Amino acid sequence: MRGALLVCKKEFMELSKDRKTMFFTFLMPFILYPLIFGMMGKLSQKDVASRKGKPSRILLVDSTQVIAPVLKADAKSFELVAAPQGDVKQAIRDQKLEMMLEVDPEASAKLTQHKTFSLNATYDQSDDSSGLALKRLKEALEKQNTSWVQARLGVMGASPELAVPSRIQTTDASTPGLAVSKVLGAFLPYMIMLMMFAGSMQHGIYTTAGEKERGTLLSLLSTSLPRNQIIWGKLIYVFSIGLISVLINLASMGIAMGRMVPSVASTGGSAAQGLGALSSIANPLTLVLTFLLMIPLGLLFANFIVLMGTQAKNTVEAGTAIMPGFMVVIVAAVFSMAPGIEKMAFLPYVPILNVSLAVRKLFSHQANYLEYTIAFLMTVGLAGLLTWLSTRLLNRESALFKV
Amino acid sequence: MIQLTDVYKTFTVKDKRSRAKKQIEAVKGLSLTVKPGEIYGLLGPNGAGKSTTLRMIAGLMQADQGQIQVCGIDTKAEPEKARAMVGYLSTDLNVYGRFTPRELLRLFGEFQGVDAKVAERRGMHLLEKLQLLDFADVKMEGFSSGQKQKVSIARALLHDPKVVIFDEPTTGLDVLTAKTVLDLLRIMRSEGRSVIVSTHVMPMVDEICDRVGIIFDGELHGDAAPKQILETWNAKTLDEVFFQLAARSAAEV
Repeated sequence: MRGALLVCKKEFMELSKDRKTMFFTFLMPFILYPLIFGMMGKLSQKDVASRKGKPSRILLVDSTQVIAPVLKADAKSFELVAAPQGDVKQAIRDQKLEMMLEVDPEASAKLTQHKTFSLNATYDQSDDSSGLALKRLKEALEKQNTSWVQARLGVMGASPELAVPSRIQTTDASTPGLAVSKVLGAFLPYMIMLMMFAGSMQHGIYTTAGEKERGTLLSLLSTSLPRNQIIWGKLIYVFSIGLISVLINLASMGIAMGRMVPSVASTGGSAAQGLGALSSIANPLTLVLTFLLMIPLGLLFANFIVLMGTQAKNTVEAGTAIMPGFMVVIVAAVFSMAPGIEKMAFLPYVPILNVSLAVRKLFSHQANYLEYTIAFLMTVGLAGLLTWLSTRLLNRESALFKV
Repeated sequence: MIQLTDVYKTFTVKDKRSRAKKQIEAVKGLSLTVKPGEIYGLLGPNGAGKSTTLRMIAGLMQADQGQIQVCGIDTKAEPEKARAMVGYLSTDLNVYGRFTPRELLRLFGEFQGVDAKVAERRGMHLLEKLQLLDFADVKMEGFSSGQKQKVSIARALLHDPKVVIFDEPTTGLDVLTAKTVLDLLRIMRSEGRSVIVSTHVMPMVDEICDRVGIIFDGELHGDAAPKQILETWNAKTLDEVFFQLAARSAAEV
């Protein structure tokens, strides 16, 4: 194993000489994610605040003045505006107003006759502000309808409670942060898989096909180091880089989210509070079990990259050979985010996807330890198989001298 | 001591046009011995099988048939042990450009089981001999091919190998540096090492080789002192021997 560690040391030494790669691998995530999440948080806050703080602009066509008082009474939510020039629908799409509300011209008469009148609302479903206007209108009308019904019941001498036969009271069964945890559980395997593969891919190519291309691999092979130790050294390096990439990216994202969570929740708070919220979501056992799963997964990816890299003539060929694997990882990663996949009975037996499933369940507080063990053992087995294969194939002269 | 006994090596290549697989016999029944304190020149045109033979001796390739021994160690049975005895240099090899010669030599010393400090000391000594000590702490990215070749030579000799295999050792070197390398080979001979070199540079063969073997089409034609080879082939130069071999081979086809 000493030889493998020496080869790994050589790879890290080479990496340390490349300042640009070092910067993009180890420092960039700490700049990038806080920047992205900070911007996202600010924009989202600004958008929510501007939508919530502003009344919805409504063009009201109400000749009988039945609805106008209702809307005017809630000036925080509604602002009645004059008809715009040109097409009203276009004006809504252009966000000059949120909605046009046309009230039945016989609304007043129908109301007096205890009949139903209709309202015609024109809004833009694709626009959140317009959707908010409709939501506000529905809430206002619901209250007003109840009040009208209760008034009618009063005239008839009946109890006003007839208008409200039942009332729902809700109790939240989730633990604090479970909703966020479920989102994280769906999102995290995707991030882990992509970062682990993408983070180690270029390094893997550089250290395998790149060494062949640069003519340095032969000098390494001419030493007394056993071939399997050379390949293991490269594997350890590629795996370590993948793992480091994931950890750095996740740590950076965690810090960035920690800053974002309290501010988005409008509770106001520091990064420490945000991290506190995150740590309550992901308990140490969840984190340890997730990390344990990342090890064989990283080894599996590293093995695939090294295997393809050693068999390729040059870096271009290696990149082309590894790309389909990357596509599979992307598809698997995207699939792992799909809602309801945890109900698929076969999924615990599908390699890679079973890792996503296990992580997802861990974060959803629905850990299934049998499924976790299957995923772990299956990934370890596959990683072992690929290690054996890459060691065997590196000994093939056709692979070594294919330059 | 290097000993090759009836060695065969075949490669399988694919014909691009017919897509059929073809067997190419790169080395056919090669037997030779290089004694300690001897410089053996392996000569032959491109594609004759020189590099394949040297790679097999260096333990980078395995013979299909026959036996190769380096200091009495079978390269097939104990490849790592055999490689530890060998210092191998080839024009195919390159240096790690991101390292300085000092870093590279320390690292390769460790790969060969030599203590890093000892490796560094030996490496600096070799760089001094090769007149490259001033560049010991400069990144090799910008080195000329000659400077890289010098570092490769130092790398190959770092672990004090009993057997030295140099495939085209003076390629890319200027006359002065080439002379330094040849002097180094002489020193290694005087130290009792077995040295085998392949080259196209005939004056170099006359100058340093104790014995030569001419390899042509995978077979060894003649294995004697340069003068004896010339006498046997009734030729004035070794180049002439090549031409005669080529003519004979063409006639056989």
